Amino acid sequence: MQNQTSTVTTVRKASISTRISKPLQLIGAFVLGAVIVYAAGFVSTSAVHNAAHDMRHSQGFPCH
Amino acid sequence: MIFRQIVFYALLVGAISGLVLTVAQTWQVVPIIHSAEVFEQESASVPAIEQAGQLARVHDHSEHKHSADAWSPDNGIERTAYTLLSNVLTAIGFALAIMVVMVASSSLNNAAVTWFDWRHGLLWGISGYTVFWLAPALGLPPEIPLAATADLEARQIWWLFAVVSTAAGLAGLAFGKPPWRWAAPLMLLVPQLVGAPHAPGAMFADQPPAAAAQLEQIAQQFIGATAIANIAFWLSLGLVSAWAVRRILSPSGNVSPSGPELPPEIESSSV
Repeated sequence: MQNQTSTVTTVRKASISTRISKPLQLIGAFVLGAVIVYAAGFVSTSAVHNAAHDMRHSQGFPCH
Repeated sequence: MIFRQIVFYALLVGAISGLVLTVAQTWQVVPIIHSAEVFEQESASVPAIEQAGQLARVHDHSEHKHSADAWSPDNGIERTAYTLLSNVLTAIGFALAIMVVMVASSSLNNAAVTWFDWRHGLLWGISGYTVFWLAPALGLPPEIPLAATADLEARQIWWLFAVVSTAAGLAGLAFGKPPWRWAAPLMLLVPQLVGAPHAPGAMFADQPPAAAAQLEQIAQQFIGATAIANIAFWLSLGLVSAWAVRRILSPSGNVSPSGPELPPEIESSSV
């Protein structure tokens, strides 16, 4: 019986944490995407620029 | 764990649509870039000092692009490989962003799974194309190398402004309630009314007249070529993302490592 109660508590705790963190998880995934796009499209370090050069021109990122 | 699922599927979506983009680019886009670079090499070999000075002024970052010690991929397979890599990376980033918005919009509409068939995939793809390519391209058409341009940072800021404003406008039209919905078309117009920064004078002022005329023609072709390559890219990205989001949201596809979904009564009692 006690075992069951503790399981329910654990389940509740788990459910609270997933409920709270879903928007946070979505925000995290979105920010990760933005960072990747920034790195590939905007960083002007010459090696990154030269590697991504043709992509930047064809995707319409401001390049030169 | 929805973060993990979105990241996993974004890798897949990015690989597929990045490959589609790379194939689409080899048709017109890459040959045009190469033909513009022929002029670049020619003008670099002209020993006219004023011309070089002008080139450096218009091209404020030209020192790092054209300096001999900066690494750049060799033409041919290496360059194509890096373009493929950049295309896939960018596509993964776009896929992450668009799938997050798709998932968020489904909880807004409460019509999760039926919402993402192939027609909605096309619609999301067209929206992505409008936000990330068309709206910035209206102010800053994709340029070929050698084109005179305004300050890089100013253009990057305008690009970002156009993307955010257009995304907000489309979201307002699609999901907004009346007072906000009326403001949405304004959000689409504002970046275009503000206008993108442009360099004064002709686009290829630092070139001899005959070369400038040819380059202007090439620049026109380039806009059409990138428009086609990018619509192929965004339609594939939208379609595959819709498939992925449907799998993420459908109960059978939801094999989360933290175990099965909780029964609703436990969830509601924990609030």
